[in-house]
Amino acid sequence: MTDRDTPPEFRELLERAARLPKSIAPPRDLWPGIETRIAGKRPGKGERERGWLPWVLVPLAAAAILAVVLLGRRGTDERRGAWEVTRLAGLPVVGSSPLAASGAIRVGEWLETDDSSRAVILVGDIGHVEVKPDTRIRLVRAQRSDHRLALERGEIYAKVDAPPRLFFVDTPAGTAVDLGCAYTLAVDSSGNGTIHVTGGYVEFDWGGRRSIVPLGFRADTRQGFGPGTPYAEDASQALRQAVAAFDFANGGPAAVRRALAAARSEDAVAVWHLLERVDPSLRRAVYDRLASLVPPPAGVTSEGALRLDRTTLDTYWNTIRRIAWRRIILRGVRDIDPRTGVSR
Amino acid sequence: MTDLVRQAQQGDHAAFQSLYREHVGRVYALCLRLTADAREAEELTQDAFVRAWERLGSFRGESAFASWLYRLTVNVVFMSRRTTRRRAQRVFATEDPGALERPGAGRESNPGLALDLERAVAALPPGAREVFVLYDVEGYGHAEIAELTGIAVGTSKAQLFRARRLLREMLES
Repeated sequence: MTDRDTPPEFRELLERAARLPKSIAPPRDLWPGIETRIAGKRPGKGERERGWLPWVLVPLAAAAILAVVLLGRRGTDERRGAWEVTRLAGLPVVGSSPLAASGAIRVGEWLETDDSSRAVILVGDIGHVEVKPDTRIRLVRAQRSDHRLALERGEIYAKVDAPPRLFFVDTPAGTAVDLGCAYTLAVDSSGNGTIHVTGGYVEFDWGGRRSIVPLGFRADTRQGFGPGTPYAEDASQALRQAVAAFDFANGGPAAVRRALAAARSEDAVAVWHLLERVDPSLRRAVYDRLASLVPPPAGVTSEGALRLDRTTLDTYWNTIRRIAWRRIILRGVRDIDPRTGVSR
Repeated sequence: MTDLVRQAQQGDHAAFQSLYREHVGRVYALCLRLTADAREAEELTQDAFVRAWERLGSFRGESAFASWLYRLTVNVVFMSRRTTRRRAQRVFATEDPGALERPGAGRESNPGLALDLERAVAALPPGAREVFVLYDVEGYGHAEIAELTGIAVGTSKAQLFRARRLLREMLES
């Protein structure tokens, strides 16, 4: 967007941004720390100094610069299929070698932590993954368009700041696809797990079954079933049990009805996912409940929703996910109506 | 060039301390908004003034000292992002999503809408937040942001669009 085509609705926001106080006093006096660090030093000459570098020192300086560049590059090198990894605690193992401080994990190599070790992997230049204790994870691909890990068991916290669908984590129950987010992903010894999203959105796919898990939501995953229905962090036990029974225990219509009865407006994300998953005979009941929780936006009709028209479902989803996002992100700042997403 | 700057260039710590007192609020605000982390902002503010001392000799007075210092500060913040140490530390900083809603923890909050906007800015994804702060709060152009941060001009524009869209979604009632 250029300055010329800034829509009018942005103007107030931009004016407010421009009026933000330019100066904020730090909570403590930072000068003593600065004074200690510059004590005994003369101000540097910066660029001017380099002009006086004796010619005899030029080859040495060039060698030093080359060494710094090479040392600086030793960690993450996507062209060679390796990412930088740093020990946080204990003694993680990369391949067959203990990780003393920092090193690299190469494509195909496993990183393993025991019950007292942790490590952080830098995901190219787009984010990082903290590997928690008792975890086994492998670097599958290290390409600009496909940053991919495989989590066999254990727990990771991933934070990625990149366009969607560049970072993937394969698990026995499916693949977590980053849509610009932060999340914790856990897998137990039987390949089942949970994903908890703390920023943005994650898509979880397995065999054509897909869940979109927004900020403030969780989804259980099961080997052989894929992702379950996402539920809010503060969802009731009754809703969690009902969707788990429906997703993984052949709970059928009874489980769906229990889920609908337990759902609040805050649970619209879960109910929206059920629309596509339930038996067609139940779809009307799911749609009616969803419409009572979050009124359908313009362009969404019951007919379109019942025949699973993609545009209709996506339009409804955009309203639901935006309300959920505002409710979570403005928690403690504004009281957001979970039916409409506006301040109460 | 002011007398204070000239005296500081001669190695006068008292003069440099006066420059610190004059500019620390602006430098800290910039670091705080770019990082959304009060503790990291303090550390980077100190780094920026130490770097300024180290490079004071290269300041020729072609621009205002304040402009030179703020550009140097942005540079310090972005250089720090590239180091493993800080990125590893950030694992802990970001694990608590609530921390993003409390960027001003430890300082007095601004009342009303300004508070909402500060919190909303802090909750933006890092790339979008940085471009928004530099463009819409600090007034840098896309070419300058690209030069300062090492991203492409097109990326800067895309991040600004993303930041504004997210902020609008957050703040509209």
